Amino acid sequence: MGRFLFRSVISIIVTMVLVSILLFVMLDPRDGAVLVKILGIEATPEQQESLANQLALDTPIMTRYLDWVIGNDWRAERLIGSDVVLLEDPRTGDSSWWIDEGNERYIQYEVNTDGLMVPLVRQPAGEYIKEAPVDLWETDAEGNKFFWGLDAKGRGALWDDSGATEFISTQTGWQELAGAPVDYIPIRKGVLRGDAGISWRTSRSISNAVYLRAGNTFKLAGLAFVVVMPLALLFGIIAGINEGKFLDRFISIVGLIGTSTPEFVSGLVFILLFALTWSLFPSQSADLIGTGLKPKHYVLPVLTLTAVELGYVIRMTRASMVDVMKAPYIRTAIIKGMPYRRVVLRHALRNALMAPITIIMLHINYLVGGIVVVEAIFAYPGLGDYIFKSAVFGDIYALAAAAMVTVIVAVLTRLFGDLAYTLLNPRIRFS
Amino acid sequence: MKPRNVSKKYMAKVHPRIPEYFDMMNDGRLTRREFMRFATLLGMSAGVASVAAACGGAEAPAATDEVMDEGSMDEGGAKAGGTLLIGMETSAILDHPARLSWIQGANIVRQVAEYLAEPGADNIVRPWLLESWEANEDVNEWTLNIRQGIKFNNGDELTADDVLFNFDQWLDDEVGSSVKGLLNYLEGGMNDLERVDDYTIKMHLSAGNIGVPVHLTHYPAAIMHRDFQGDFVASPVGTGPFTMTEYNPDQAVVMTRRDDYWGGPAGPDSGFPYLDGIRYINMDKDAALNALSAGEIHTFYQPRPTDWEAMKDNADINVVATSTAQTLILRHRVDIEPFNDLRLIKALRLCQDRQQILNLAWFGEGDQGVDAHIAPVHPAYDEREIPAQDIEGAKALLEEWAAETGNSLPLAVTLVTKNDEGEQQYAEVLQQAANEAGFDMSLDITEASGYWERWDEVPLGITSWTHRPLGTMVLELAYIADNEGNPVAWNETRWVDEEFSDTLVAAASTLDVDARRVHMGKLMDIFWERGPIGVAFFKSAWRLARHEVKNITAHPTQYDLMYNVWLDDAA
Repeated sequence: MGRFLFRSVISIIVTMVLVSILLFVMLDPRDGAVLVKILGIEATPEQQESLANQLALDTPIMTRYLDWVIGNDWRAERLIGSDVVLLEDPRTGDSSWWIDEGNERYIQYEVNTDGLMVPLVRQPAGEYIKEAPVDLWETDAEGNKFFWGLDAKGRGALWDDSGATEFISTQTGWQELAGAPVDYIPIRKGVLRGDAGISWRTSRSISNAVYLRAGNTFKLAGLAFVVVMPLALLFGIIAGINEGKFLDRFISIVGLIGTSTPEFVSGLVFILLFALTWSLFPSQSADLIGTGLKPKHYVLPVLTLTAVELGYVIRMTRASMVDVMKAPYIRTAIIKGMPYRRVVLRHALRNALMAPITIIMLHINYLVGGIVVVEAIFAYPGLGDYIFKSAVFGDIYALAAAAMVTVIVAVLTRLFGDLAYTLLNPRIRFS
Repeated sequence: MKPRNVSKKYMAKVHPRIPEYFDMMNDGRLTRREFMRFATLLGMSAGVASVAAACGGAEAPAATDEVMDEGSMDEGGAKAGGTLLIGMETSAILDHPARLSWIQGANIVRQVAEYLAEPGADNIVRPWLLESWEANEDVNEWTLNIRQGIKFNNGDELTADDVLFNFDQWLDDEVGSSVKGLLNYLEGGMNDLERVDDYTIKMHLSAGNIGVPVHLTHYPAAIMHRDFQGDFVASPVGTGPFTMTEYNPDQAVVMTRRDDYWGGPAGPDSGFPYLDGIRYINMDKDAALNALSAGEIHTFYQPRPTDWEAMKDNADINVVATSTAQTLILRHRVDIEPFNDLRLIKALRLCQDRQQILNLAWFGEGDQGVDAHIAPVHPAYDEREIPAQDIEGAKALLEEWAAETGNSLPLAVTLVTKNDEGEQQYAEVLQQAANEAGFDMSLDITEASGYWERWDEVPLGITSWTHRPLGTMVLELAYIADNEGNPVAWNETRWVDEEFSDTLVAAASTLDVDARRVHMGKLMDIFWERGPIGVAFFKSAWRLARHEVKNITAHPTQYDLMYNVWLDDAA
């Protein structure tokens, strides 16, 4: 048993590493499409190039993969020469990186028109105040001036005075913009430490969004699971032990109709009936008046998922039950005078559940990653919706992070499935 | 009290051209709407212009009220209170408004921060944060007069410093604002802006441009406070009628009424905003359509033609339509064989049954086009007869081409487009007719993102173009060359025509509408004679709202102008 668990965990880790590499390589933005998405098609090529640099899209894919997995704050710290910390902005709930100078003093930098660094000192409310400019330039081996710091967006930034930077003085005496950095490191802790960085699509923390949306999806999927599985097993067993009778036919046909009707049809039919015609339940699960989602918001999505899911599991359970009920040991048990109920519950059920468990575990995966259609129909802010929108946008870090959540669910359900087998079947347990 | 009459002397003081327009309006050469538009563009306040418009003109006076304010009819019984529920996708980047590339985000910002000028739902630009603007004769020097006494929601007063701060942000490459592309006449960057005093800024343009006020309405050009640090969500400080009290883009974005709002150009007595709040609820259009018909929301962002079709006969829904310059452009690249021969695109244009295309692609809701990228809603539009379908003519052109170049017919071509704005229907109708005329057309239709990845690369395609208030704006983006003679970034056809470019420069620096109409007419003729595009129709846009929502407008670019919208519980 211990060895079995150990083997499973090792295989899970290997799977995750391989999947993450595969995901990352496949999602690699090969052209500037995502830049167009972010800046709009009206942006000039210079603006696109500048953004590519800001997003570090111009660094090799291997570096970006490692940044994504294990983070790059340590790399930035080495370049900047001091500690950096991630602090939450109480106004938005999002976090930004600051240089930790000790004594609760956190700073970012801006370079002004005179080519001096303006420390931006963080205030407890989240905003910053500018301090008097200081000269922090360093000189490299070739005598060029450079300075590594954090810019006002909390990104690692390299300034130089190579002339790439434009100094603007105007007739108006208006002198705001000075040096833009020439290179950037978008700092993050990496997914292993729970920080996937900033979403390109929303410019907010990916981890916060994935956490929130995975929670929403688990809620909806869990609810659907709790409704569907007991019902499906029950009906499956009833149909199985009544093979060929009216009850069996009835359950099978109703289940089949539900399953063979896609969600986008059944969902709309339910909306038409329950929301538009009878006004019983809201047509969608959006938080309309800001009081949070009420149970009524879940009724139609769960009903839709139930309609689709029920049939599969019923059929699987039924078929398995029919097989087992034909086995010689069941016949023997019945012949020897054992009560029918006891034969079904003690002898048949245990063996008949082997096949449905595989299906049930697969369906957990479906419920978590695949309910995007239901989420879209009912405007439910879940993980599938997040993955879909990230994919359409080309927001690869967000997409990869959210996809990894579904991968984790997939490998964990496999582990649970394996464990459930061993409990049901001693032959696996002792092999 | 409004002045009952506006003297020509006063008009001339605002701008020497305005009296001419006034005369033209009186002669019937200019509609009131056009007079309003040009008087306001030249610096006359919308209120005075509307009075002036009412003084003259041959049309029935009733029309004037419509011009003055589309929503004025309901102003009398306006009730305060209530929260407007709007379905809209709210989850996308919202940090620096200057960087916005989605109108939904701008609609959120717009409730909190305002623009120097307001792009009215009637395609008329009016001063908003500006009291007025003035242009010199050559329209290369513009004076922006900022309205005094406007307070940000943090208590600070709006001054020239705030406006200059925003110009600086727009022009800053690191910010990456699309406003920069429009302000290409500020070649010297901030050097071209002059701070005259606390409420006056002068713009020195390197070339005359009549579009300045329109450019100030571009949706990323919201005026932020001078201390703005790049994240709207962290510091939603603006002069607008609402404050942002909740930002949860995965679920909802909530706006709450500001009691100390300056009231818009009508002043604090306007009672604006009427609403207690606005709630933008994150949902896509399918969910929103259901929610609208179930009465769970009041309206939603940008209804599609199918949504319009579904709701137009619904007794609970008020449908408002507006003409726009949004269009689908059938275009080909003139630098790729065989389309470097103009006879081919001409043949394709003759294959268009414009009414049928409009019917199938946009439910017949829109204006037919004449293969010029200039829409009837544009002020200087020069009306032309709508060309009829002529398959025989197309066939003749093709045969002539084939005989001359030694190619055989049918000519195999691939038409590439996307499927989210009626392009597919357009393509299919065209395919049928084109195949009759001697083409062998195959279609390559993808999702929108699939097309935008290659929109300016494909040899033959249908591209959707958005609304722009002035007819010259899109032409400057897509049908000219840059200083080095290379086609500009968005010139998807690579077509450059010297006479066209010169005429366009002339049009873009001509304020006189009649004179400009001559230029625009010439541009339309060039489009027809040797242009690289086909334009079958311009789309209508709609607003679908529950009946209890009053004063709500359909906007050609889907801007949510909500300050004077109110809710009538009795309806």
